[in-house]
Amino acid sequence: MSILRRTRVLAVTDSLEVGGAERVAVDIVNSLDRSQFEALMCATRCDGALRDVLLPDVEVEITGRRATWDLAGMARFARWVRHHDIDVLHTHGRGTMKFVALCRRTGLIDTPHIFHDHYGRLHLDRRATPGMRSALRTGVDVYLGVDSRLCDWARTSIGLPAEKVHLARSGVDLRRFDDVDPVDLRTEFGLEGVEMIFVMVANYRQQKDQPTVFRALAQLPPDLRRRIAVITVGSTTSEPGFFDRCWSMAEALGVTENIRAVGARSDALRLLAGADGGLLASKNETGPLVVLEYMASRLPFIATDTGEITRAVRDLPVGYTPEPRNPTEMADAMAALLAMGPEARREMGLRGRAVAEEVFDQQLVTRQIQRVYHTLLTTPRGETSTPIGAATGDTLTYR
Amino acid sequence: MSAISESGPSAAPSPRPRVSVALCTYNGSRWLPEFLESLLAQDLTPDELVVQDDASTDRTVSILEAFADRAPFPVRLVVNPVRVGSTTSFERALGRTRGRFVALADQDDIWYPRKLSRLASILDDDPILTLVFSDADLLDAAGRPTGGQLWSTRKTHRQLVTREIVPCVAFARRALSTGCTMMVRRRAVEAALPFPSALNDPVAPMRHDRWLSLVAAAVGTVRALPEALLGFRGHPDQQTGVLAPAERRQRLLATAIATLRAPDPVRAEEHEARARQVAEAAHRADLWGDFEEADQLRRVVAHHLTRADLGTTVHQRTRRVWAGVAEGDYDRTVLGAAAAAADLARAMHAAPQREDA
Repeated sequence: MSILRRTRVLAVTDSLEVGGAERVAVDIVNSLDRSQFEALMCATRCDGALRDVLLPDVEVEITGRRATWDLAGMARFARWVRHHDIDVLHTHGRGTMKFVALCRRTGLIDTPHIFHDHYGRLHLDRRATPGMRSALRTGVDVYLGVDSRLCDWARTSIGLPAEKVHLARSGVDLRRFDDVDPVDLRTEFGLEGVEMIFVMVANYRQQKDQPTVFRALAQLPPDLRRRIAVITVGSTTSEPGFFDRCWSMAEALGVTENIRAVGARSDALRLLAGADGGLLASKNETGPLVVLEYMASRLPFIATDTGEITRAVRDLPVGYTPEPRNPTEMADAMAALLAMGPEARREMGLRGRAVAEEVFDQQLVTRQIQRVYHTLLTTPRGETSTPIGAATGDTLTYR
Repeated sequence: MSAISESGPSAAPSPRPRVSVALCTYNGSRWLPEFLESLLAQDLTPDELVVQDDASTDRTVSILEAFADRAPFPVRLVVNPVRVGSTTSFERALGRTRGRFVALADQDDIWYPRKLSRLASILDDDPILTLVFSDADLLDAAGRPTGGQLWSTRKTHRQLVTREIVPCVAFARRALSTGCTMMVRRRAVEAALPFPSALNDPVAPMRHDRWLSLVAAAVGTVRALPEALLGFRGHPDQQTGVLAPAERRQRLLATAIATLRAPDPVRAEEHEARARQVAEAAHRADLWGDFEEADQLRRVVAHHLTRADLGTTVHQRTRRVWAGVAEGDYDRTVLGAAAAAADLARAMHAAPQREDA
């Protein structure tokens, strides 16, 4: 009997806790075409809240490794991969990549390996350490960078051949943003009479840049400033002391009346649905995914020009992308959005939604990644002409 | 175009230009024409040349005025009434620039045609960068290549090639960049101005280029580009430059001996001066909301203050040096190790009394 088996893709992350890389992994897994692919998920360290977001047909494994060189963890992971006859390993995050590359290099597995790089600390460190170079060169078959700067880094600093390196912009599951019941922000947060309410979804931590928002507010003329409010949504305790220093700065600048710090919220999409605009200031981002969420929520936005998504939309009339850490440009953008009036802002938000549908819909992004899987599995590895993991016996696969 | 004064009609508000070149000159008539020709040959024409002449007594000003008449961009020249030195001259020149990006220039160098375009494209492509600086080929006084390169000669090549993003702490510890190789984004210029008076401390002055790099890294991201984009001329009249290997070894040895022999009060004053300069950079970082960088710089300040006053007993002094080594306060380079060794050697002697004690 001939068996036409679907290609088994294992998405590998550090954990299933809520984070940018993990969120992307889950979105890809959930949107893989089930007629061609069987999706599995492995968190090499620990479980987390994203398990509940995974579709019910996704088998989940928690390896429980403690370090990159956790030999017992490596053995458990490799055994699980072999047992499930995985066709493609798709890792997210550098720690996970190193762990899987090590399993490959030690001969525990020989499964084709795609590494999805979400590294966001390009503003602090771009070193190509010998360990990183070795893992990427010998343990990874395809490099997917979420930012063109990452792709440049992989080619020039690591020395990966250009054909191994692909840009993989992140996508957004647009269905999550439909039929969302908006929160009345003016009533909820005592902002009656404010003309324009921005929501900024970002934890208070060093990589984000709430101080630039506060300084921008301070630069606005008082008659404009009193018409604007910013609701910051995100943990105020993720980096001890940072929020307090930001708030002291806001007090010193005299802008606390314009700011509501509401902490981490599970109803962020409802807050976005009730907002007049999205706002993001950060020192560096490689995504940032939240800009896609603003567009999906039909919001005009102001987001610092730091990542691949803002790079893609910076010339489109869907929002403003001021230079990062530049309060003057951010204040100008705030004033410009305010001056547009509600109807023009609504139209800008609708254009953003259209761009999200045309370019960043998760289904489209996942189709591109599926093509990478296909190319990887049908391209001979190295000098040999034998396809990777070619079908044997009476088992046919898509590889 | 003609040279214009600051009060002239052309100083009226106009759209912000993209690239400004800030040039400081002083008795540079011998080298200046060659630099100006290389500026004209750039494949990205600057939008303005801002010149601050430091009261030259040779033909420098007339050369600049003649250049302004034929340059395809505005040349805005101001002559200092009295000589103030290169750091203050650059502060004044930077304050007059208007471009989104500012390239610093020395009168005696020769820029390669792609210098401005290469640096501007890097800043354009990566908006998080506040400053980018390159390597340079070394030239002799006649403008002939010596075969050497700036980073290698200054022993910074390895550090900069392995770590292209240079953290602010690295600039706080050591001068790693050279002004004429830099292009700076406007917001870093704004954060660095006005220069603090502590830079001109006679005991341990900090030059404009180190200060700019330090602040740019504290309020943003600084990238080292391992490409030579200009010829850096070495000649006897220059204020700063590179030393021949033998000369450099001799200088290092003399410095090491002086460091070991210097009475503590002198060393203390040097560390206190450096601490004031770095503390000022930390303050700027705080103002811009870069709290993490401000904290890192304050740690460097504390280290300098500890080195300024190691304590009174040998036990206390050696323990403080070892604590600094253990906590990574000394730079993890040969220079850092040498500094720790020198401190340890001094710590073994009893502390002399400071006059103000």
